[in-house]
Amino acid sequence: MASYKDPELRDRLAAEYVLGTLRGRARARFESLQHYDPSLRRIVAEWEERITPLAGAASEIPPPARVWKAVSRRVAGAARGEDRRISLAFWRGLAVTGAAFTLVLALFIGLSPRPEPPMAMVAVMNDDKGQPAMVVSWPPMKAMRDPHIRIRVVQEHPTMAQGTSWELWMLPPGKAAPVSLGLISTDADQTMKLKAAVATRMEGAWGMAMSVEPEGGSPTGAPTGPVIFKGQCVKIL
Amino acid sequence: MIQESARSGERESGRAGSESTSRPHDLPPSRAAADALAERLAELLSRCALKNQRAFADLYQLTAAKLYGVALRILRRQDWAEEVLQECYVNIWNHAADYAAAKSAPLTWMTSIVRNRCLDWLRRPQTEATGDEYDIAVEAWRDDSPGPLESLVASSEAAALARCLQQLETKQRQSIMLAFFNGLSHSELASHMQQPLGTVKTWVRRGLERLKGCLSGA
Repeated sequence: MASYKDPELRDRLAAEYVLGTLRGRARARFESLQHYDPSLRRIVAEWEERITPLAGAASEIPPPARVWKAVSRRVAGAARGEDRRISLAFWRGLAVTGAAFTLVLALFIGLSPRPEPPMAMVAVMNDDKGQPAMVVSWPPMKAMRDPHIRIRVVQEHPTMAQGTSWELWMLPPGKAAPVSLGLISTDADQTMKLKAAVATRMEGAWGMAMSVEPEGGSPTGAPTGPVIFKGQCVKIL
Repeated sequence: MIQESARSGERESGRAGSESTSRPHDLPPSRAAADALAERLAELLSRCALKNQRAFADLYQLTAAKLYGVALRILRRQDWAEEVLQECYVNIWNHAADYAAAKSAPLTWMTSIVRNRCLDWLRRPQTEATGDEYDIAVEAWRDDSPGPLESLVASSEAAALARCLQQLETKQRQSIMLAFFNGLSHSELASHMQQPLGTVKTWVRRGLERLKGCLSGA
């Protein structure tokens, strides 16, 4: 919607988002817009600074002890690696340690049922809880006759609601708009073919995001629904 | 009030530390306590980012009652509020490293996480509020009494915000506070205040505009 560029409207929507009167689809849409628009995120942060201290006037109510028990169990489980899913810290660690990446790649390639060229870039996409949900990786595009990316679902696959599609987006550097890569299927391991024009831009990608869209994909060519997974791209070769 | 006694306890411990000498003298004591708490929470969050579980326990201890109060008021159901609180703390643990980038006060950052999760929760169609559970909570706001605003001024954590809210027209202030504390949507506000939807929307919009102007000193 072009009007999202209007500064007054942006300020008003940010205020109503923080106050909580922005609801439903409008709220989800506004939330996903913030992922691609740092200046919008800043306006929201300013409104949070203005309004949210009001919460200091709410009465303090100690939660039942079972809440802390559950929280500490989940946190301790993740820290000790007991959680079946791999913790965020693990992935963060990987993101900075090149050597470790070789290891995880060897692991993936080792488990992989089919041979494939060495991966050049990888993006670990986290869900809103910071848990890795998907891994997207691709070899050097120049080396491929049929450019494609590989997508693996790390988590137990969340169900896709009836009448919706999941669309994968590449976030190009700078302020360029997200580029649609296509729709994801429910397979745990899948490849996605890329158009040549998109493939040439993959090397510059800094992030990947997945949004929930109406069946068949975004009608506008830009993400319209909530972003459920996102992650940064890291060069590994 | 429990809230007050908790604050004064914090104030004393803050003063006992070395900070009392370096703190500017013109700050009122409760403001100094709020600053000390903010500093402490920021430090705990940075240790949580390094996966220090002890720091996380302290963080929970210092903030859970505040955040549970916020969630309970919006969701109006204890089981939902507990579930949201649990999710949010796991979230805070996972995202503690992002806090530094947020550049906001630690409690504001944490409160925003809880409020956003609550509002998402209300988006689920089956969680539509059934009717008058919130009327009791709302009763206190129905007249023009400052009520909770007074405690804000007293805490002076957000004295400017409270002063600016008091300068709004009664209807503007009521609709903003009902939306903020009780999580009412425009249409819920309209039915609660028995006014047309358009009127309520205008109150909220003008109220927010004036609030922004007042807070920026205009």
